[in-house]
Amino acid sequence: MKNNLQNGLRPLLTPLFAILLPFYATAAFAHAETGVAGGLVSGLLHPILGFDHLVAMVAVGLWGAQLGKPAIWLLPITFPIVMALGALAGVAGLPLPFVEIGIASSALVLGLMVALCFRPPFWVAAVMVGLFALFHGHAHGMEVPSAVNPLAYGVGFVTSTGLLHLAGILIGVLVRWPTGDKLVRVCGVAVAAVGLLSLTLAFGPSA
Amino acid sequence: MKVPALVVAACLLGLSEPASAHLVSTRFGELYSGLMHPLTALQHLVPWLGLGLLGGLLGSHTSRWVLLAFPLSVGVGALLAGMLPAAAAIDHLNLFSFVLLGVLVALATRLNRPTFIGLAVIVGLSHGFANGPADLDGVPLLLYASGVLLAAYIVIATATAMTHTLSQRTAWGTIAIRAAGSWIVAIGLVFSGYSLMSGLMSAGPVAAG
Repeated sequence: MKNNLQNGLRPLLTPLFAILLPFYATAAFAHAETGVAGGLVSGLLHPILGFDHLVAMVAVGLWGAQLGKPAIWLLPITFPIVMALGALAGVAGLPLPFVEIGIASSALVLGLMVALCFRPPFWVAAVMVGLFALFHGHAHGMEVPSAVNPLAYGVGFVTSTGLLHLAGILIGVLVRWPTGDKLVRVCGVAVAAVGLLSLTLAFGPSA
Repeated sequence: MKVPALVVAACLLGLSEPASAHLVSTRFGELYSGLMHPLTALQHLVPWLGLGLLGGLLGSHTSRWVLLAFPLSVGVGALLAGMLPAAAAIDHLNLFSFVLLGVLVALATRLNRPTFIGLAVIVGLSHGFANGPADLDGVPLLLYASGVLLAAYIVIATATAMTHTLSQRTAWGTIAIRAAGSWIVAIGLVFSGYSLMSGLMSAGPVAAG
């Protein structure tokens, strides 16, 4: 009887030992600086988690691609710099009125520009994008003082914004083909719809 | 019988302690300390990348000497930091260089060789100074400064080579690099503004770095 019990338990001993052993392990400390990693992730996610931010940034790339040179590269270069000025205002605590409405409007207006394939003079496009960049930057900048690591947060949100522009430009390459051009304009309609929804929510009872 | 023995042997590996194969705990530890200091501080790493991007855009004829001058300046700066008192002006200079380098890359400014070398030396000295050891107690300064110098060489050589290749071999390379420059300007503006507004500068160069 005893031998039967021992023989029955024997195969279980090794797996049990293997299961219990990992509980002995200590923390790996694989990330050298928690503050940098935390700030970076927080900054990277900030423009992505706000859906109106996200679609407006993609729309900048789409519109740049539709407008062609020099807008295709000047708009994504101008945007981060003007956005930083808005962020500075946010860091300083300077109030910018109607920030949420401005961000939602940016998605609506930029989406309509893409959907209608509107081609204003370059300076008009630059001023429009720059104006919207101030609102987006202010929203990001307000978070800087409370970030785990303000510099890493800044690196995160600027990089994330730039990559969203790049995504828009890459989708916008489709305008070379007739079907792709229509697809890009449909993307513009979707961006405008998100902007309209955000604008409605911004004017809603909770605003 | 063989399989359980292998499982137990594999599990025993989980009990192993760190090997301490890198001589961090011996006198070579200061080399690693100097090497890691700028690489883990974004306020140094990002402008250094900016200098490398600018060097790559300017071409090998202009940027070749900077591969030597910049790391040496950083090393000298780190040595000076061990001998001289901390200066808040160095932090302001570093913040200014952060934005300036981004602007130069975004505009793809064509600097001549003496100007670019001079810029790299000034940036190297000020950033090297800010990377000086926080506490000199028992720190072999030359070893620490060698680590900082090595980090500067790794960053500048890698960034310059990659940028040069990208700008020479692809039609969109220069545009992508200029866009990266605008990102550096934006990050520099936000960080400089935050630092100046929050009084972070009063903490001194190493504490801020």
